[in-house]
Amino acid sequence: MAEPQSSLLLKKQLGELNKNPVEGFSAGLIDENDIFRWEVLIIGPPDTLYEGGFFKAHLYFPKEYPLRPPRMKFVTEIWHPNIEKNGDVCISILHEPGDDKWGYEKASERWLPVHTVETILISVISMLADPNDESPANVDAAKEWREAYPDFKRKVARCVRKSQEDCS
Amino acid sequence: MGNCLKGSRADDISLLPEAGEREYSSTSNPASSHLNLNLGQERSILHSPVSSYHLKPNLSEEEQIKIAKRIVLINHLPIGTFGGSGSSSASAESKECVICMIEFVTGDQIRYLPCLHIYHARCIDDWLIRSLCCPSCMEPVDAALLVSYDQD
Repeated sequence: MAEPQSSLLLKKQLGELNKNPVEGFSAGLIDENDIFRWEVLIIGPPDTLYEGGFFKAHLYFPKEYPLRPPRMKFVTEIWHPNIEKNGDVCISILHEPGDDKWGYEKASERWLPVHTVETILISVISMLADPNDESPANVDAAKEWREAYPDFKRKVARCVRKSQEDCS
Repeated sequence: MGNCLKGSRADDISLLPEAGEREYSSTSNPASSHLNLNLGQERSILHSPVSSYHLKPNLSEEEQIKIAKRIVLINHLPIGTFGGSGSSSASAESKECVICMIEFVTGDQIRYLPCLHIYHARCIDDWLIRSLCCPSCMEPVDAALLVSYDQD
């Protein structure tokens, strides 16, 4: 049986990222025999509250990739309005493509088959720098971010410190 | 960015069989079970990837009609052969299919979208079933076509 397109495409991306690493994160597999489960290490973006942190996350690709999006989950504890307390990342580009006739109005915000590990991580890194509090995944973090910013900062700083200890 | 309404998946009614739950309407036909395993081979025979789509038997009639209409619509989009004598300048510019990230080779079956982006037919057709927009420019594919087809 021929190798499926999804695994060929993911292998290609892994090879490319190993050869030409992208600033801001490193990427590999959780288990070297399973191309559908990735582990990435995101470097807290400079000039944000997350600066100095090293955040580990997992990406789970469906067999239908790139027609369907992967799921992404932070393994390192992280406090952010758009990341659930259990680590699940809620970002519109990882939402399943809409299928209704008028869905294309928002199609650009949703999953597109041209997204790669690199473009997903660029979006996630930009989300760290710039949370969207309109539809939070972690309501408590969103509320703090809006109404009690010093508390929010303190919690993020704690996560950053913890992430450094975990990595050392 | 970072948009995550809890209920936002409610409108993502997946009309497509997911991995592991693919079902075929004609289970009595053993040949159909090979379709999933030998897509590449099957498709080269069929010349029309979307026609190989099998609908979930438990879809409502309305949903089946919707997918059927979409398949007809996709089949209305021009198709060509990469590097063929009739190929337009668009195919000369694009080197690879951005969905599978594999370079086009002469003889590949190419689908032309109204925005002039081109893809392997087997790559884009499966996508268009899910979302009627060009993955490169998000241009709808194609409101005008859809309207004209609805009037037929």
